[in-house]
Amino acid sequence: MSVAFAERFAMPAVVHGPRPVISFHGVSKVYGNHVVALREVDLAIHQGDFCFLVGASGAGKSTLVRLLIREETPSTGRIFVEGDEITRMARRKLPKLRRRFGIVFQDYKLLANRTVAQNVAFALQVTRPGQRHLREKVEEVLWIVGLEDKLDKFPDELSGGEQQRVAIARALVHRPHIFVADEPTGNLDPDTSWGIVQLLLQINHRGTTVLMATHNREIVDLVRRRVIAVEQGRVVRDEAQGSYLRPGDATL
Amino acid sequence: MRRIGASLWFAWHSAGQNFKRNLGVSLAGVFTMGLIILLVGGALLFTHSVDSILQTQQNNASKIKIYISDSASLAQIADFQQRLKDDRRVISVAFETKDQAAKEASSDPDIQQALQTLGSNPLPASLNLEVKQLTDLAAFDKLAKATPIVDRTTATDYNPDVISKLHTVINVIEGIGIVIALILFAISLVIIMNTIRTAVYARRTEIEIMKLVGATDWFVRWPFILEGMLGGIIAAIFSGGIVFAGYHLFVQSAQRSLLSVPFDGGYAVTLLVLLLGGGALVGAFGSYLGVRRFLAV
Repeated sequence: MSVAFAERFAMPAVVHGPRPVISFHGVSKVYGNHVVALREVDLAIHQGDFCFLVGASGAGKSTLVRLLIREETPSTGRIFVEGDEITRMARRKLPKLRRRFGIVFQDYKLLANRTVAQNVAFALQVTRPGQRHLREKVEEVLWIVGLEDKLDKFPDELSGGEQQRVAIARALVHRPHIFVADEPTGNLDPDTSWGIVQLLLQINHRGTTVLMATHNREIVDLVRRRVIAVEQGRVVRDEAQGSYLRPGDATL
Repeated sequence: MRRIGASLWFAWHSAGQNFKRNLGVSLAGVFTMGLIILLVGGALLFTHSVDSILQTQQNNASKIKIYISDSASLAQIADFQQRLKDDRRVISVAFETKDQAAKEASSDPDIQQALQTLGSNPLPASLNLEVKQLTDLAAFDKLAKATPIVDRTTATDYNPDVISKLHTVINVIEGIGIVIALILFAISLVIIMNTIRTAVYARRTEIEIMKLVGATDWFVRWPFILEGMLGGIIAAIFSGGIVFAGYHLFVQSAQRSLLSVPFDGGYAVTLLVLLLGGGALVGAFGSYLGVRRFLAV
């Protein structure tokens, strides 16, 4: 499927520019109730990177993701996406920013009253109304995630893994530059999880930057890609081919 | 063009879908709005009817009789009449002779009897004036008193008390009508806002996804605004119809009970258009407010 994927889902070629695709500079986030979610985070992610963001629940992974897609703004510090400072971006520019991202969550966020094809098409209808060849684009992306025979099923007729694939297809259909997955395997069994990660690796293989927040230890240790570990709001480890835990240690 | 068309179609389609899917809530909203529009329409029509009754009174009140002394010569009267006719504030001046006055007055049997007993005619001749503005009456009363040929004892039939009271009543009723309409308008805004908020809440996942994949605020807003407008218009059509029918019946029954309420078709049509426009506007604005909170993602 990898070859077919490469042929059919043409992406811009990988260009490792000097400038990172995503960068955090001294980013802190304090919520209204004085809970410090992130402290002085510095990060740089380059085009074509595949990063695991690991850490216990409440370590700050989700806050980091939310800051990246500008669902929240940091208390201090600056965040850049493809050279644009998003922390000071005007509200009216946010839709364009979000179109650069493909985002999936643990809970899929599918619309129960729409079919698989309609769920995927929805993303295009609301961002690019009047899109030509809508059906073809939807079928193509569902073929990529391996659901070409489930077009007219409803989400509750699918397994968890299949639902997550629909969510991935929806996030892919507008050809994002950066793919963000927040605990995408959180609700899935190990085999299904592995299938999802394989899919993300394929997406990354075509040049899309992938950031995956997870606490799935087996997967991180199997894939051996860059690992950014967060603990109590701080980045405590950043390794190019890391594992879930610090080698020889019982903690992150 | 294609994009705009597609956006509109999407907005219209999801507004309709929304309305159907949350039929219970939607209908409740439409029903409440309808009731309020009914009240607004009723209040405005009632005010208008009372107003037009009073207006008729006011028209009667904007007449004044200037009593002419018996000693005045016809030339003097004609001269005075001409002077009044030339006045810009005057609509018409009619001369009423003593005989005419007696004839007019004798429609009342008591006066007729009195006239017969007297044998002679004590009623003065008069110049019957109709003026454009009620407030000018006082000036003519003053003018009459300063004119030599006018009856010394009773110069005119001007009664400042009645007129100023009538004026006050008209103003107060108009004011009350407007205040009631405004209050009802505000209430319906809140109701629509909450109805839409329920609809929005039911679709919060959809909105979340729309925002997530990068839909613009207006793209998210439009379906709800259309839905609100749709509800407002439907409510206005029904209530407008009821108000119109009710007005018709009211005027008919009022005329039967000798209360002369003029049926003002022009006003009723204007009111219907206003209610439709108001319904759509309140629906749209209420939706705008209702959806606002959920857009802050």
